Amino acid sequence: MKRREFIKDVAVGSIILKFQPNLFAQDNTSPDLAWIQGESPAQITKEAISALGGIQRFISRGDVVVVKPNIGWDRVPNQAACTNPQVVKTIIELCLGAGAKEVKIIDNPCNPANRTYARSGIADAAKEAGAKVLFPNPHRLKKMPLNGEWLKEWEVYTDFVEADKIINVPIAKTHSLCRLTMGMKNWLGALGGNRNQLHQKLDQAMIDLAAFFKPCLSVMDGYRILIRNGPQGGRLSDAKLFKTVVAGVDYVAVDAAGATFFDIQPQDLPYLQIAHQKGLGEINLEKLKIEKRTV
Amino acid sequence: MKKERSKKYRLIQGLRILIQTVFFILFFHLLLGTHFPGEDYIGRVEIFFHFDPLLALTTSIASRAFFASFALAAITVVLTFVLGRVACGWVCPLGSIHQAFSFLFKKTKLLRPKRPKGNQTAWKYYILGFILVGTLFSLNLVGILDPLSLLYRSFVTGILPAANYGFSALLGILYKVHLFSLGDSLVQFRENLAVNSTFLQGFFIGTLFVGILLLNLYRERFWCRYLCPLGALLGLMSRWNVIKLKIDPKKCIECHLCNIHCETQANPFPEEGWKSSECVYCFTCSSICPTNAMAFPIKSQPEEIKKVDLSRRKLIFTSLMGLFAVPFFRLSPSTKRASPKLIRPPGALPEEQFLQKCVKCSECMKACPTNGLQPALSEAGPEGIWTPILVPEIGHCEYYCSLCSQVCPTGAIQELAIEEKTKVKIGLAWVNKNRCIPYDLGTPCIVCEEHCPTSPKAIKLVKTEVKLPDGTIKTPLAPVIDTELCIGCGICENKCPVVDKPAIYVTSVGESRSERNQLLLDLIKEKSGPY
Repeated sequence: MKRREFIKDVAVGSIILKFQPNLFAQDNTSPDLAWIQGESPAQITKEAISALGGIQRFISRGDVVVVKPNIGWDRVPNQAACTNPQVVKTIIELCLGAGAKEVKIIDNPCNPANRTYARSGIADAAKEAGAKVLFPNPHRLKKMPLNGEWLKEWEVYTDFVEADKIINVPIAKTHSLCRLTMGMKNWLGALGGNRNQLHQKLDQAMIDLAAFFKPCLSVMDGYRILIRNGPQGGRLSDAKLFKTVVAGVDYVAVDAAGATFFDIQPQDLPYLQIAHQKGLGEINLEKLKIEKRTV
Repeated sequence: MKKERSKKYRLIQGLRILIQTVFFILFFHLLLGTHFPGEDYIGRVEIFFHFDPLLALTTSIASRAFFASFALAAITVVLTFVLGRVACGWVCPLGSIHQAFSFLFKKTKLLRPKRPKGNQTAWKYYILGFILVGTLFSLNLVGILDPLSLLYRSFVTGILPAANYGFSALLGILYKVHLFSLGDSLVQFRENLAVNSTFLQGFFIGTLFVGILLLNLYRERFWCRYLCPLGALLGLMSRWNVIKLKIDPKKCIECHLCNIHCETQANPFPEEGWKSSECVYCFTCSSICPTNAMAFPIKSQPEEIKKVDLSRRKLIFTSLMGLFAVPFFRLSPSTKRASPKLIRPPGALPEEQFLQKCVKCSECMKACPTNGLQPALSEAGPEGIWTPILVPEIGHCEYYCSLCSQVCPTGAIQELAIEEKTKVKIGLAWVNKNRCIPYDLGTPCIVCEEHCPTSPKAIKLVKTEVKLPDGTIKTPLAPVIDTELCIGCGICENKCPVVDKPAIYVTSVGESRSERNQLLLDLIKEKSGPY
């Protein structure tokens, strides 16, 4: 290559980059939210993540990943009280496929862990996918500075803090206090201590926790949603087959999308409203680029 | 005289130790395996109890009914009639522990065996008489002293919790020295074992057990010699068995080693003094005999039958004691008024029948996934000591679990399918409005409602006017109980964020099994009771 040609190429290249800055940055071409509907929980999960630009966008080779499903209750999958095991399994497989060193599954449940882990189907599904399924370890509880508006410090399982990446995989359910429990509420499962006391100011606690944990990706399981008697349900009629998964980086936006599953405006949920005002994420779905598909 | 110990009997002794170890491991394995197995139904982890003829006999007499699983006890009975007390010497896990400790104490010279004097071995027959007389009046005290109940209960409520405490301390050290991955895998190992480690009477029952072990410092297998009522029952059966001691008078040098070292004071020397009802066929005497003079040949026709050496006067005396004990063990305020804390596991029979059948073994407490089932102290009266009660402050009754009813060896807790269990009321929840956060502070809470497992929920949230200290009025959502829907599982009490004394609590009223302990009159009418 001659010097003249080289200078010319550099000049042309610079001009292109100046006016087309998004050329190499894949991020901005991918949607804010992937909203996929379909028959198979595994497939819609896979589609949602690939619509966001694929798992490689979030997970790098050698990462230690903690996937946080909701395994809170002693309920089976079609009661829709815990995250769908197939959704969890698919995410684990994708992470390991992207070269993650290790994927851990942990939740601090309300019912005895050995029961919720087994009966939710998540323990088996996750082990099958190659994840480490861990019961919450009291020796790994540590009081951490959360520096939230209300929660200054709380006991957190350090697995969540020490991981390279965390992926939040909540399920969308009704809840008598915060109306809906989704991604931001899911972080109560990463806490120890007398976390039931958080309910006295639950909205603020959820915001403080969401701001602390910062998942690299949130995948909302809406394959079955719990429309009544939340957050546990019980009767099969309490659950509704909704066949949807919404994924995104903006965890507030993902929860906002989840609210619409129940025909609730995101603005009507105080914690989403406050989270938005604090700049944690967008709740106006019209302002978001949403890729909505049925597979 | 040529001095030579018997190779044959030393081999048999080795075999006996091996078999004792196998049975002990099996017992311990089943004990550790008594927890949620990952599916709704657990196998027959309680099978050891069904081989116990003492439990079979006493619960049958006390409840005037035979529980089918106890048919297995016939095997032990036949075995004892044919071979003598081999169940004590070769199988019983408590006997094995005593033998191991006796051996240990002898080796360390903490115990120096002496030639036994007197006839204290008769004590256990008097104890048996005492227990059996009670059962005639439906007073079932066997669980206090039955060796399997005693061992299981002590392990579950005392020894394992103590071991768990030690294990946790060790883990703490591992994490302090930064052995994280080793610590993590040990924690997961422990969580998978799901050992319940909080028991109200852990110290008391555990200490009692240690005390019984320490009795071996005084006499070898002290428990088996003097106290065990099951040993007494088997002793009564082993008079006609076919294995009898034979001492070769030409070889015997009358050293008395056999008498000194006999584990259970069966007095092998002289041969005429040997009591087959006391012998557990451990073959210690024949293997330590320095001149190989002792043998246990099989004879189809036993030559002479040695009766159990009992004083008729003492037997009548202790039996009368058993008779007079009945009213004393029944001195309880529960005849006046149902005990609010007497919350029995789901499937428990009505109290009277429950007490006739419960053998205080703690199987249910081991199986309980929340550690909520606890040994009673005074809640069920003196006769109900160590029977299971639910203490919701420690653990609730898990909605989709019926393990306690599946593992109960006597049917005191009737086996329930999960669908049946979810319909059983074991009590009712009550809100203490003086302590409840919304009622008292005007602040939202809802934790009890959130955890309520029924659908629809038995705890409703109702907007309630609350006055605050400054006189302002707030209207938070506050819990109100629907007593029709409440099953008394106690998860509300367990999870209540008022940490010291929960603001919601369960009492036994409304329990399905009772006709008297009811709140709503229309509930009684639905049943075909005496009302």
